[in-house]
Amino acid sequence: MPAVIDIAATQSAIGILSSSWSAWVWVIPGLLVGLFFGAMPGISITMAMAICLPMTLYMEFLPAIIFLTSIYTGAGFGGAVPAILMNIPGTSAAVATTFDGYPMSRQGRHNEALGAGLAASVIGTLASYVLLYLTVVPMAEVVLKMGPLEMLVVAIWGMMLLGSLTGDSMARGLLAGTFGVLLGTVGMNTAGYIRGTMGIPWLLDGISPIPAMMGLLAASQLFILINTRYLVENDAGRSISLAKILRGVRFSLGYPGVILRGSVIGIGIGAVPGVGASIANLLSYAETKRTSPDPNSFGKGNPKGVVASESANSSSEGGSMATLFALGIPGGSATAILLAAFAMHNIVGGPQFISERMDVVYAIIISNFAQAILLFFVGIAFVYCAAYIVRVPMRFLIPVVLVVATFGSYAIEGNSAGPIILWVFSIIGWAMVRYDYPVAATVVGLLLGRLLENNAINTYQISGGDAAYILERPAAIAVLILMVLSFGVTAWSQHRRQKRKLSEQAAAP
Amino acid sequence: MRRSLGFIEVDWGHLLLLLFIGGWILAYLIDTRATSLSVHNLLLVQPTAIIGLILCLIVLPQCFRRAGPARAAASPEGLVTDRRRELGELGKIALLATAFGAFVTSLETVGFDVACWLFTAIGLYICGERRLWLIGLFTTIFTVLLIYGYRAMIPFPFPLSVL
Repeated sequence: MPAVIDIAATQSAIGILSSSWSAWVWVIPGLLVGLFFGAMPGISITMAMAICLPMTLYMEFLPAIIFLTSIYTGAGFGGAVPAILMNIPGTSAAVATTFDGYPMSRQGRHNEALGAGLAASVIGTLASYVLLYLTVVPMAEVVLKMGPLEMLVVAIWGMMLLGSLTGDSMARGLLAGTFGVLLGTVGMNTAGYIRGTMGIPWLLDGISPIPAMMGLLAASQLFILINTRYLVENDAGRSISLAKILRGVRFSLGYPGVILRGSVIGIGIGAVPGVGASIANLLSYAETKRTSPDPNSFGKGNPKGVVASESANSSSEGGSMATLFALGIPGGSATAILLAAFAMHNIVGGPQFISERMDVVYAIIISNFAQAILLFFVGIAFVYCAAYIVRVPMRFLIPVVLVVATFGSYAIEGNSAGPIILWVFSIIGWAMVRYDYPVAATVVGLLLGRLLENNAINTYQISGGDAAYILERPAAIAVLILMVLSFGVTAWSQHRRQKRKLSEQAAAP
Repeated sequence: MRRSLGFIEVDWGHLLLLLFIGGWILAYLIDTRATSLSVHNLLLVQPTAIIGLILCLIVLPQCFRRAGPARAAASPEGLVTDRRRELGELGKIALLATAFGAFVTSLETVGFDVACWLFTAIGLYICGERRLWLIGLFTTIFTVLLIYGYRAMIPFPFPLSVL
């Protein structure tokens, strides 16, 4: 195995960065572009990076990559802003942020939620790049061992989240989740079978998840709020306060365990090609809820839910960069844009790049430390301005958000499919919320359905239906053991807590 | 949306939603089986759909509930007022949802600018804004900013009629 840290390359990287102003000048514009695009519903990180990609053609390689990674870092947190303030997960990576972020906003704790989310994002990004700095080469070797079976186990782990999203009625919650999983499998599957498209050509690729999520979570919520004056009903609660945003930051810092767990999940999942931040935030949320002493407070405005989600989705950036640098494989669409930028400068990622240009790799990693720190200051100013949304009367906010969401859903594929999906799912979502079905469970099912089916089919094809195949996959066994251990430890601690509570009740006079 | 049926109250709205979900799951299962009976086609969909249908049957009794003594004791005037308020709110939501549906389906035919202007104006009115001058002014500024903003940001062209 190659050396973990190359000291000479690190010194050379510091030399490159300290001698070149052009590497730094693009960081703040990149962060601002990322924050703005990330906060716009439907405008993905990929789209923001793709729009700016041609500009990088006229830059040197290092400033170009630093500019694009700044956009990546900014957009990673930008998605949390509409998720917290309007229940719109601008990207699938911010789904779990809505679970507690939006209830916090409705309670007038929007400042704290934004501050907590920002701090978790900053620390998550920092942690992921520190880990990337330490393990860029060995991590890539681990990623190569991840096959369909391992991915299937990861997807099943994600599905376990459904159990904690059921709300008051377990049956309704499970039905909502099952409905979501089936919706996620509509279209042509990996084996070429076409189901549930009703003859509509644009359903061949399945139900586009972002418009469906925006409809289920946000548009449905806007219909319900039609008779509400403001997002925050209490007049005093509509304040915009830097002190409260900083209180949210301090809250995040008080839960290093939640951030660390989120970061580790984010880096691990982010490094796996094709999975990334959309699963990482759900897993981190589920694990934090499961291990919390007050799991019932989640989904009702517990800031730990925001911290768990944001630390995971931001840290997945570092994970996907590991695969890009070491293997030349993009972990997701955003890193695919980075790979295109590599190609534009005649550079090919992979083992040869790592061995020959380790100083450049380290320079990019070190500049990302600075990006994460700068994100904190730029992000504070950004969320301070964005929080003014709570002062806009709902009679203006409802049509405006519906129109912006429609434009965003059109922007995904450039046809009416997105807006129509948004509309249909807004009505389904409204009906589900009205009759106490947890729409979050449907969203999780929708996100995981295709991943689950594709990997189940691939595993079946490879194994020929032989269950003993799992014994040949140590990585899958390791993930499975980790999952079982996680559930086992939680069940044991819950059992102990309950036993203690019962004995205390029995001892009471 | 509850109706008393003798001693049993039926939550018709919930029943309708459950029938929609159950009906869609059943139709999807039939369509999947009609496509192919191969394991590669049914591996996830068939067991999940069967579980979904069983869950629908488990939830079904929750749409019916025995009318309690509190309901019987409630004054008819109070019930009528509640009912009117609920219907008023549902009517507003139905209007907004219909306008939203018309907006998303007409985007490419009437142009994004006209559709956006019309829906925002109608939406503002449905949501309670009654100052027509403000609706006109706000809607125009918002439409212009949105169209030019999105045109600069997204890589796809979108049909316009005026701008």
